[in-house]
Amino acid sequence: MSRPDAVVEHDMRLLLAEDDRKVSDFVARGLRAERFAVDLAFDGQSACEFATSFQYDAIILDLMLPVLNGTEVLKRIRRQHPEVPVLILTAKDDTAAKVENFEAGADDYLTKPFAFAELAVRVKALLRRGPVARSSTLRVADLELDRLTQQVRRGGTRIELTGKEYALLEYLMAHAGRVLSRTMIIEHVWDESFEGLTNIVDVYVRHLRAKVDDPFPTKLIRTVRGVGYSLSECTPV
Amino acid sequence: MNTRSIGFQLTAWYAGVIAVVFLLLGGFMYLGMKHHLEKSLRETQAKRAGVIAETLVARVAQLGEEHVIQEIRESYAPELNSRFIRVTRPDSTVLYVCGVPADLSFDPAKVPVPATAPARAYARVESPPDSESLLIVTGPVPTATGTFRIEVGASLGPLQAVLREWLVTFTLAFPLLLAVAAGGGWFLARRALEPVRKIIHGTEQISSHNLGERLPVPRTGDELERLSTALNQMIARLDEALSHNRRFMADASHELRTPLTILRGELETMLQQTDGAPELQDRLGSVLEEVERLAKIVENLFALSRLDAGEAQAESVQFDLGQLAATTAEQMSLLAEDKQVTLNCLAPRVVSVEGDRARLKQVVVNLLDNAVKYTPPGGSVTLSVVAAPNLGKAVLEVADTGMGIPTGALPHVFERFFRVDKARSRELGGAGIGLSIVKAICSAHGGQVEVASEEGRGARFRVLLPLAETAEETKDKPNAG
Repeated sequence: MSRPDAVVEHDMRLLLAEDDRKVSDFVARGLRAERFAVDLAFDGQSACEFATSFQYDAIILDLMLPVLNGTEVLKRIRRQHPEVPVLILTAKDDTAAKVENFEAGADDYLTKPFAFAELAVRVKALLRRGPVARSSTLRVADLELDRLTQQVRRGGTRIELTGKEYALLEYLMAHAGRVLSRTMIIEHVWDESFEGLTNIVDVYVRHLRAKVDDPFPTKLIRTVRGVGYSLSECTPV
Repeated sequence: MNTRSIGFQLTAWYAGVIAVVFLLLGGFMYLGMKHHLEKSLRETQAKRAGVIAETLVARVAQLGEEHVIQEIRESYAPELNSRFIRVTRPDSTVLYVCGVPADLSFDPAKVPVPATAPARAYARVESPPDSESLLIVTGPVPTATGTFRIEVGASLGPLQAVLREWLVTFTLAFPLLLAVAAGGGWFLARRALEPVRKIIHGTEQISSHNLGERLPVPRTGDELERLSTALNQMIARLDEALSHNRRFMADASHELRTPLTILRGELETMLQQTDGAPELQDRLGSVLEEVERLAKIVENLFALSRLDAGEAQAESVQFDLGQLAATTAEQMSLLAEDKQVTLNCLAPRVVSVEGDRARLKQVVVNLLDNAVKYTPPGGSVTLSVVAAPNLGKAVLEVADTGMGIPTGALPHVFERFFRVDKARSRELGGAGIGLSIVKAICSAHGGQVEVASEEGRGARFRVLLPLAETAEETKDKPNAG
């Protein structure tokens, strides 16, 4: 599978501080499948010790940790490693807590229950942060999207898209090969007001397909039932 | 005037009781006065009769009849004093009778002579024709020549005049007294009920959104202080019950999140690992869809519990509701188009409101989504935003030409998990929570949402939000330009 966004090097090391073993388990499994090295901490104290003894590439931190809560852990990590990206995982999403944690130095925030795909995309976004330049042209198979001119071509044929269709296609192409959940698409292309209330994503994907896929023999946009959509070169069985 | 108000009833009762008391008092006074006056008149006559009998009539034999007559005339001058005096011999012939009094109040000649001599003194009232009534005391006067009779009387006229005058005064004073009593009662009732009115007013101000507030307690030590305290305690208990309920909602949604995370994560992992088994993938996908839906419900419940707790306005900025509606409608136009529903947006002017933009956008999204969902192909949905400055409100309306809502269901459409047609709305993907979120957001912004519908003729949702203060200035700008 081709991964245009695969900036992951093989020795990228992550710390996952999560006290719920089952959550920790599947997240670690998923991340390892993405070829990350993952260390696990199950309480705040050990999370601090891990974080201070090793230079991690990113830290995934649950807020409700035993011994030492996540916010406190975050503050201690920030004292020693102001640079390491930290993604907060939490089952609480009140705004006050969010603000407090961003102030304490969190880089991103993910509310449970999350789709693993979303966690993966966000972790990669955190790792990409900084020097990695955005390429101005995205290419999947014979589909080409120019970010500068906002033009889309497939096999040399120009495809006219509306603003939202373009934004959707760009998001799918930027994460080609990856399954994107409807929530992720909505948050990225629309805003959270649309979350969960409409089938707006399905409608737009259908319209996008009509323009991008239907006139061509190879279909690029794939529906992953229960999860979302994915755009990739090889059509799965 | 509310005739069932406590103030009115108290006044009426007060006036009624006062009236009865006055009537009884008046009656007793009248009777007592009459009795007293008659008694003293009688006693005066009896005393005078006694004196005449003792000093003159008893000694008639020694003094001679002429002398007795002379003495009575000189000493008592009955004609001048309007007195009636008559002395009768034992053979019932009249020894002396007074003349017609100066004021002509009676004619002594017409007063009949009692047939028999009394054994002892007694009083009687004579009412001879064409004259005033007379109170006459008759007494026996034993002498050597037999028992004489002495009759002394006086007209009842003056006494009756006094009583009549008293009655007139009383009758005239009665309505006045009654009016004063009623006025005083009304004033007292108002004064006594003023704290109650304050309590009522305070209680009316308290809703589920400001249960933290309390009624003012008058420090008077009376029942009203106890009432306010008791009401406040009740509000506190309600507050506690409600926040308990909210905490429960928040905790429950919170506790549901971790298992949902695990479910979702494990299912996704499984889905990835079953490459090449389409049937299994399909089933896993189906389970994942349900997990997704469950997660959405939990999410919405959590959002609702936060709105209930008054955490709605993460930000409060002033913005143009019309523009928000227009952009939202634009974003959702494809959704309507897809269903072959015409989506019109009428927001010609700037309508400034203040609040959380994202939340209010969610109101528009939910209402439009709802309208599009329940409008069949070929129908239309109209979104309009206008300002009603006379009401101080911004009015956002979403009207559709869909199937409408049955009258019986109208009061419930904003309730959580309420669905008019369960099977149908589940098929459309609703969880019955979108409209309750709309309502919660509106009330958190000090506004309200109402619905009107006729089955088969579409539904009309109307959101009223307070206009932002500077709405007047900004409103005219686009017109002027």
